[in-house]
Amino acid sequence: MIVKDVKMKRRWGMAIDLDKCTGCGKCSLACNQENNMPIFEDDSDVPKRVAFLELMKLTNDRDAKFPNVKTAYLPKMCQQCEGNKQGKHPAEPPCVTVCPAVATDRGDDGVVSQIWSRCIGCRYCQTACPYEARAFNWWKPEYEGSFKNSLSTDVSVASRGTIVKCTFCSHIWKRERDKAVAAGKLDINDVLYTPACVNTCPTGAMVFGDLNDPDSEVSKLANSDRAVRLTNVIDDIKDPAKKKALMDKKQFPNPKVYYLTSQKWLRDMMRFNPRNDAAKKNS
Amino acid sequence: MKKIERKDFLKLGAGAVAGGLSGWVFSGSPFMAFQWLAEWTQDQYVPVKGLEKYVEAVSDSCPNGCKVSVRMIGERAVKIESKEGVCPACQNALQMLYHPERIGMPLKLDGAKGSGKYVPVKWDVALKDISSRMNKLISEGKGNAIAAINKNESLNGQLMEKFIKAAGSNNVYYEASLKSITSATLGGFINYDFANTDYVLSFGAKLVEGWNSSVDMQKVFTNWKAKGTKIVQADTVCTMTASHANEWVPVKPGTEAVLAFGIANYLITSKKMTSSGDEFAKWSQLIINKFPLAKVATFTGVKEDVIKKIADEFSKAKNPVAVAGKGGAGVSASSAEIIAVYCLNTLVKSKAATLMKNSAVTYTGDVAGVDALIKDGKFSMLFLNNANPVYKSALGEDLKKKMEKAFVVSINPIMNDSAAYADYILPSLSYLEAVTPSNKEVVKKFKESKDAKDIIIALAKAVDKTKNTFSFSDGIDSYKIAGKDSATGGKFSFNVDKVKNVIDAIEKKLAQNAEYPLAMVPVEVPLVGDGDGLAFPYVLKSIDPKVMLYNDMYVQINRDTAKKYSISEGESLVIKSARGKLGKVYATLTDTVAPDTVAIPLGFGHKNFTKYGSGKGVNPKTIMAADVDPLTGTADWWSTRVKIS
Repeated sequence: MIVKDVKMKRRWGMAIDLDKCTGCGKCSLACNQENNMPIFEDDSDVPKRVAFLELMKLTNDRDAKFPNVKTAYLPKMCQQCEGNKQGKHPAEPPCVTVCPAVATDRGDDGVVSQIWSRCIGCRYCQTACPYEARAFNWWKPEYEGSFKNSLSTDVSVASRGTIVKCTFCSHIWKRERDKAVAAGKLDINDVLYTPACVNTCPTGAMVFGDLNDPDSEVSKLANSDRAVRLTNVIDDIKDPAKKKALMDKKQFPNPKVYYLTSQKWLRDMMRFNPRNDAAKKNS
Repeated sequence: MKKIERKDFLKLGAGAVAGGLSGWVFSGSPFMAFQWLAEWTQDQYVPVKGLEKYVEAVSDSCPNGCKVSVRMIGERAVKIESKEGVCPACQNALQMLYHPERIGMPLKLDGAKGSGKYVPVKWDVALKDISSRMNKLISEGKGNAIAAINKNESLNGQLMEKFIKAAGSNNVYYEASLKSITSATLGGFINYDFANTDYVLSFGAKLVEGWNSSVDMQKVFTNWKAKGTKIVQADTVCTMTASHANEWVPVKPGTEAVLAFGIANYLITSKKMTSSGDEFAKWSQLIINKFPLAKVATFTGVKEDVIKKIADEFSKAKNPVAVAGKGGAGVSASSAEIIAVYCLNTLVKSKAATLMKNSAVTYTGDVAGVDALIKDGKFSMLFLNNANPVYKSALGEDLKKKMEKAFVVSINPIMNDSAAYADYILPSLSYLEAVTPSNKEVVKKFKESKDAKDIIIALAKAVDKTKNTFSFSDGIDSYKIAGKDSATGGKFSFNVDKVKNVIDAIEKKLAQNAEYPLAMVPVEVPLVGDGDGLAFPYVLKSIDPKVMLYNDMYVQINRDTAKKYSISEGESLVIKSARGKLGKVYATLTDTVAPDTVAIPLGFGHKNFTKYGSGKGVNPKTIMAADVDPLTGTADWWSTRVKIS
């Protein structure tokens, strides 16, 4: 049986509540495990390291003095940019527009995917990405000895000289879809899934779901006042007309990962707001 | 027929070559060759395919008893998931299970201790040698010279305790943990009813960084946030707990206990509150005389009215609770601190802290605790049950020397700093290979490794005196005799005679010290904890380059303090304490650390912890304060006087 004319309704997005994140690091472990992250001789060697999810430690100690300081952890992965579809020059996400090999693309479900083996290693996408979310395999992944046994068959092992990135664990969605098809459910829009990092988060700080569904938890969180997108200053403009005018003129990556926080210093930091802004607040 | 000229002949030849070449090119074979070359040079690995299934497992080696669901591809475990929550070590268990340096056979030392030279032997040979040595000691009446150090109170730890006690020794110890040091001090560990508290006063306890039970505490924290439970954190560094707390009380390093004295003093004198503990009158007199609020304020750097305010809020809350115990993984606290903080709970009659006891774990030995064993204990035979005291104890170097003279048996799945000084290494399992009453093993056992429970039972059966200790021979049956937690019901004692000396020592440590003007406190890095995580690449992957880069470790120093000592960002440092000096570390300047304090990451500097974990950074415990507390039996190393140059 072939299902015709199924329109994709889903637009996957993520919300991460930084006020709930304790920095336990389990999202990073789960991500590494799920996505067959390369194991090198020394993974503490940062330039050589390949990981999709970076556990960033943030503090406001440049602007504040002890003890008026705060710390937070920010799990940073591919922000799954939507691109800027309006205006004179509709654009795909920054990485997609520059790829000469069609190795990376934004799907109709909103996920920016990448085919490891199609990558020619030019690293344009890595340069274009505003979030440093892409990693380059400078060396061949080693998976010494029995470590190979823990590799999943769902994610192909990347070879040396290719770019890899977070795909919102879209292979898990495929897995779920296969299961649904086996159970006789053929509508792609019926199947939901959860990426590995969200699945393991012990405090419920990470939420994943469909941004097109106004009732989903993630879209409620994304629309809340506490939501902030990394460096996406367009969000600060509340007037819709002004926002549209600016969107027409200028490109914005429009990420689909929303961070939530009520802490002003964190919001400022995520926007690269000038230092004195935060300093004023803290003094 | 036209004669073929030499020129034509050459033309024909060239044409044939050109045609052949173009044919070869158009056949695609050179491109195939390039592809083959690319594949060959890249040598891409393709994971072995198999049928997918999920298998349930329960961890028998972690105190949480994490329940997980393992995704399998054929016979390979590829992912660990959990609905109930899982601790970081259990989440990362695949890296232990499939570690390339797993020990697959019993190993016998074949050279000097610490040389790392081992030869594989058969199980029966190893057991026979170990048991005959034990038999000899016992028959000579030296049974008490057999000692054991357990990593934790899990079932195999309980079996080890039973086995060693049956052999006639009183020397079973547990590595410093919240349970072990609290039990040694108060006569029981504390069960906290965090779900129903409305005010949490923490004396440096890293509540969200893994303190107590990381799985439970993450749930508790979520619950607190939802309910609006007030969290007050006294801390020297802006840790995640301090940052998440409703109120962070920045205290000078090592003064958490003094703050507790101050609050107790205020509650006793101004609020006329009393505690039911034995010797309370004597203790309160001591605290009132020694720690007037003004003095507490100078020591801790917390203003008198702030101390009063906290004490008032704490006493007026509906169900307040005070907690001690410092680190998420690296637990260290003095008995004086544990008693003072527990006293606060008894003063306000907190319903959220109950003293508990496990029926199978006593925490009583000839000496008070594991560091006391290292310092004063006399043993000629030592069992290490997955413990790594050479690395984790502040007295690790002393233990090395004692281990060189003793006969040491270590039970562990991968090499560690302590096993490197063992005469025998008996390989144990990861929890995914263990059988529990509710679950079969997820993955077949690695080579000839055995369940730690089975190893201990087999050892007991092989020794004459202990052969009837266990009525069963299979580790699975040991679940029947697993210890149960119950409330002690008893009163705790302030133990003033002993605690008096500890309080004096704290005062001495905090006094001005011209030679060692700075204090060094540890900070814990996510997943690395107290060092157990460092052997695993996926943990190394998460390490912040501001903590370690290219095996160079960074210590955090307050900006003003750095200015005072003219230290710039990234500059190399030598840290010295009265005990010695640390190898080269580098400075990173941050105001998240209190002035006159050096915050040093814990968990690095392993000498022998597989190729992944060894030789990275330095182990600060080698120079940390190592005075053994008479009650906890462990060194209170959390804050150490140092100087930098």
